[in-house]
Amino acid sequence: MTDRSRDGLRPSLDQPRRGFMPRFNIALVLPAQLTMMAVVIVPTLIILWLAITDWQPTQAIPWYDATPVWFWNFYDLWYDERFVNAVGRTLFVVGVCVALELGLALGLALLFLDEWPWRRVAVSIIILPMMIIPVDAANAFFMLFNERGPINHMISLVIGAPFEFSWLSHPTWAMAPIMMAEVWQWTPLMFLLVLTGLMNLPQNQVRAAIVLGASPVRIFFKVMLPLLAPVISIALLIRSIETFKIFDPVYILTRGQPGGSTETISMFMYNGAFVYFRMGYIAAAALLVLVVVISVCLVLARPMTKHS
Amino acid sequence: MNDSQIWVTLLKRSAVVISMFIAFFPIYWLIATSFKPFDEWASWPPIWLTDNPTLQNYRIVFFPEAAREFAAAQQGSLDYKVSGSAWKAFQDSAIISTLATFFSVVFGTLAAYSMVRFRTGGDNYPFQFLTVRMMPPIAVVVPIVALFSVLRLSDTYFGLTLAYTAFTLPFSIWMIRSFIEEIPSELEGAAMVHGMGQFRAFLTVTLPLIKGGVLSTALFIFILNWSEFLFALVLTAGNVITVTLQVANYVSASSGKLYGVQAAMGTVSTLPVILFGYIIQRHLVRGLTFGAIKR
Repeated sequence: MTDRSRDGLRPSLDQPRRGFMPRFNIALVLPAQLTMMAVVIVPTLIILWLAITDWQPTQAIPWYDATPVWFWNFYDLWYDERFVNAVGRTLFVVGVCVALELGLALGLALLFLDEWPWRRVAVSIIILPMMIIPVDAANAFFMLFNERGPINHMISLVIGAPFEFSWLSHPTWAMAPIMMAEVWQWTPLMFLLVLTGLMNLPQNQVRAAIVLGASPVRIFFKVMLPLLAPVISIALLIRSIETFKIFDPVYILTRGQPGGSTETISMFMYNGAFVYFRMGYIAAAALLVLVVVISVCLVLARPMTKHS
Repeated sequence: MNDSQIWVTLLKRSAVVISMFIAFFPIYWLIATSFKPFDEWASWPPIWLTDNPTLQNYRIVFFPEAAREFAAAQQGSLDYKVSGSAWKAFQDSAIISTLATFFSVVFGTLAAYSMVRFRTGGDNYPFQFLTVRMMPPIAVVVPIVALFSVLRLSDTYFGLTLAYTAFTLPFSIWMIRSFIEEIPSELEGAAMVHGMGQFRAFLTVTLPLIKGGVLSTALFIFILNWSEFLFALVLTAGNVITVTLQVANYVSASSGKLYGVQAAMGTVSTLPVILFGYIIQRHLVRGLTFGAIKR
């Protein structure tokens, strides 16, 4: 690392050496690197230890003296229905939410292709959801989906009979408000990304297609969508990673209740570590998740450098 | 324009209006609820716009006397987490978010400069920081709790600031990197021909050119810090409290439903973030994609 970095000096900057300490460039990255060490790298090493112990803070033994149980944590995880379900549920949420966000964003962006008065104002209002604190967005949806909230009121008005369904305590339906909150908040980001991409499209190809008499639908699928592919892939990648971590709306709306039926991976791990205090067991789950996430991301993150 | 084109335009504009309505409605409900008096919080049918607007909910958020008065009049007692005022939460959030933003941007600028101009650590080095943003924070939270308990950093300003700095560094490094890359290094070279040191050339030539970008990065990171919830939830135990934590406390108050109060707290806590968000609207895309997509 050290030798290569010195060779990397740009030739134009190489001659005047005044004020340049040796290894100065290394010193510059140190503050950032040390912060990362303290908060990310050292804890990751601690996970490796915790994952093979059965440490629980309630045992009153410090974590470094915990009893090793070796690989039993992983064995238990494999047969822990709640964990397996949480993984499946998280993947389901990622798939459905990100797909919905992309579909809605594409549709929305197409409405904003031409210039019209108030267009900027409309964009500003549509992106409002992504501006607010996620916890507050969840708070708003908590009230919307209340038994006596406006959603139930609207349904009652439509069906013409009183409708007092308690969304958040139904094992099957409690996931719906959580996912809606997520889609509501992050479709605007997807919309902004797609719109940016559409505005930057080379107009010549689109115009050529129009002159050649292609239908708007064909132009969209055969010309615009392929040109948008890099932007869309970045948007999908970033939203999938972020949705995979989903925690705030779940915590505010249900905390994984009823009976663990809305637990995502993050919620499962929070409940395990800070409600049941099974730190060692959850460290094993964390290790598993970290290994999978990082290896998937390292493969997928390549397009990000290419595009810029 | 013929008839069918007019219809298409009309249809498109109505779709825009419906989208605007959907985007705004939950926020409207939050604000509307924050002005409702106690007996309208959970009435059926729900009240869409109250006829008796009141500031009581905001008073309960900010003045402990109002909270005590409310508790005595309506419900007997409020639990200890919500009976105090939310001033402390705003104050703590402001301190921690500002400090963490400062450190993140300063460390990030130095590191980004080093990476762009010296290619420090090679081409893959910046990815090390990006990986941090990819891992679910809950996965590192368990060992951080273990580490902080040994270092006595749990429930301190320093501990939370450290965590926030580390988890926003990927954003500051990647965003500022993308800004520095837009400035040709020849400009610094020219200043150095006039006898300036390398780092001074960066500070006096390049930094002023990207100061708008750095400032947007700072606001963007402040938004992230102010909105953070998971770390605040796990790494504190009552001594330090953030606005997001206070919102969660109102939502889960054991003394009963506090819809009006939680709506008031939600509205006030999100205002600064909305303001900053619109100020840096132009740079939001760049920020949220780590500089991959520029305007």
